Amino acid sequence: MRQNAGPAVSVKNLRKSYGSLAAVADVSFEVEPGEVFALLGPNGAGKTTTIEILEGFRSRDAGVVEVLGVDPDNRRTQRWLRSQMGIVLQELAVEPFLSVRQVLTRSAGFYPHPRPVNEVLDMVGLREKADARVKTLSGGQQRRLDVGLGIIGQPELLFLDEPTTGLDPSARRATWDLIRQLGGEGTTVLLTSHYMDEVEALAGRVVVLASGQIVASGTPDSIGGRDTGVATIRFRLPDGVSAADLPVAGQPAQGGEIEIRTEDEIAVLHTLTGWALDRHVSLPGLTVRRVTLEDVYLQLTRDPDEPSRARQEQLR
Amino acid sequence: MTSTQMTDPAETRRFYSLSDLRLVGRQIYYEQLSFWLNPIGAIFTIGFSVVFLILLGASAGSSRVKILGNIKLIQYYVPGFVAYGVMSACFVSLAIVLVNRREEGLLKRLRLSPLPTWVLLGAIFLSTLLVAFIQVIVLLAVGKFAFSVQLPDNIGAFVIALVVGGLSFTALGAAISTVIPNPDAAGPVINVVFFVLLFLGGLWFPIKDGSGLAQFSSFFPIRHFIKAVFAPFNPGASPWAWHDLLVVAIWGVAAAVFAVWRFKWAPYRNK
Repeated sequence: MRQNAGPAVSVKNLRKSYGSLAAVADVSFEVEPGEVFALLGPNGAGKTTTIEILEGFRSRDAGVVEVLGVDPDNRRTQRWLRSQMGIVLQELAVEPFLSVRQVLTRSAGFYPHPRPVNEVLDMVGLREKADARVKTLSGGQQRRLDVGLGIIGQPELLFLDEPTTGLDPSARRATWDLIRQLGGEGTTVLLTSHYMDEVEALAGRVVVLASGQIVASGTPDSIGGRDTGVATIRFRLPDGVSAADLPVAGQPAQGGEIEIRTEDEIAVLHTLTGWALDRHVSLPGLTVRRVTLEDVYLQLTRDPDEPSRARQEQLR
Repeated sequence: MTSTQMTDPAETRRFYSLSDLRLVGRQIYYEQLSFWLNPIGAIFTIGFSVVFLILLGASAGSSRVKILGNIKLIQYYVPGFVAYGVMSACFVSLAIVLVNRREEGLLKRLRLSPLPTWVLLGAIFLSTLLVAFIQVIVLLAVGKFAFSVQLPDNIGAFVIALVVGGLSFTALGAAISTVIPNPDAAGPVINVVFFVLLFLGGLWFPIKDGSGLAQFSSFFPIRHFIKAVFAPFNPGASPWAWHDLLVVAIWGVAAAVFAVWRFKWAPYRNK
């Protein structure tokens, strides 16, 4: 474990511009050691730029950044810092003619205390593919190799840029378990993803970026007022009952269901279920749902003028 | 994480300073592994110059060259193709490899590892020079045993010419890779430039010094390098072609400065 106390990542008033375009405009956040932290936002929101600054791959224009207690731009500590970081990026190839084991063995040699190669092969489920050449792997297997290369150095801090894109559902769940395991061991994880269920399943805290600024932050359950907003109750009408018979007013929704939107779902449910018990009828398909993280995310990152597309084009 | 983990920057630095050279060796090993595990690529890279030399030697090798003191043409072709082999490995192959790796993200992946820049790039360059060295050995063997070419008496002059050329063309390969934005363009652009200059440099037909063509191609390093490698093979002249070596070295230094200034680890496609 790292000796210096304090956050694993600390970002204060970070700014970075490309020409006249501000890719990151005044962003501040902190990531605690051992936390799984998600950075969300549409393409061009400044996620990649922020992460590349944290990795020391890109320099910043202004602001204070500390990663594991050191400035990622400081050349004297840069190598030590990189030996403590694992990085899983998108679209970075691996030498096609080497085998999975050779690639992992080579990378293991970069770090002072690597994880054993066989252990990594098991952790990412590539044991049977250990001697296969990288170019023969499927897209999902290559993604798992990427994750393996990210964790081979036993990093204190792991950057995961869309770690499960292209994985089938079971490989995805296995990767989630792996990330939880690493988090349990005390590894700090900085995650980006386009899958909101992934963020909900893994992240303790979320920051949403749009146009280079933080538009919301919090836990996945509470962000954007998810925990206090309107709930939606849905069910199908029981046989022989019409909508007018119901004790609370509902709107017909798709699939022949009735939908009730309320901020006081406990009282509404009490009335509704009490009524059903008295009448000896069921409420088929009864669900109570709050706004999903995806709803909140889309709401937060939507812009009436759609500047994000223009920004993306400018960035190209 | 275990309690034995190194967490102190100074301690980690000590670990690295001891083993940096070994890391270069390891990287070269994996570079070579990657090269030879693609046997078709490896054989074409190394075999092209050899096949070329054999075909030219068999068809025109025994004719005499007036402008070079009536020596046999093959006595010129062997050093010419040695120079060609070095240039194709260090300049053409290296440039294409660097463009491809940059655009596929391999360079960025390595840059984000804890290895220092000099280990990363040093291993790639030394690995390229090793491939060039293997080609030189094969070409010399073919020249000696298939065509009875007289190898240089002054080995020093020959080796110095190869070292200066190898380093300079490595720098040129790295430099040109920085101005080619995508891998589809890399092969055609580099090969066209290379073959035009090779032709003008007199690889296939020796060119008389002082002719218009010679004056034009004297601005470029290829003709000078061919002449510098040929000098120790030329029985009627000094084995040291200082002027030619100097021009090659100037190009090399300029290319190195340019490459350091322009070098990019991330793919162009990203931004």
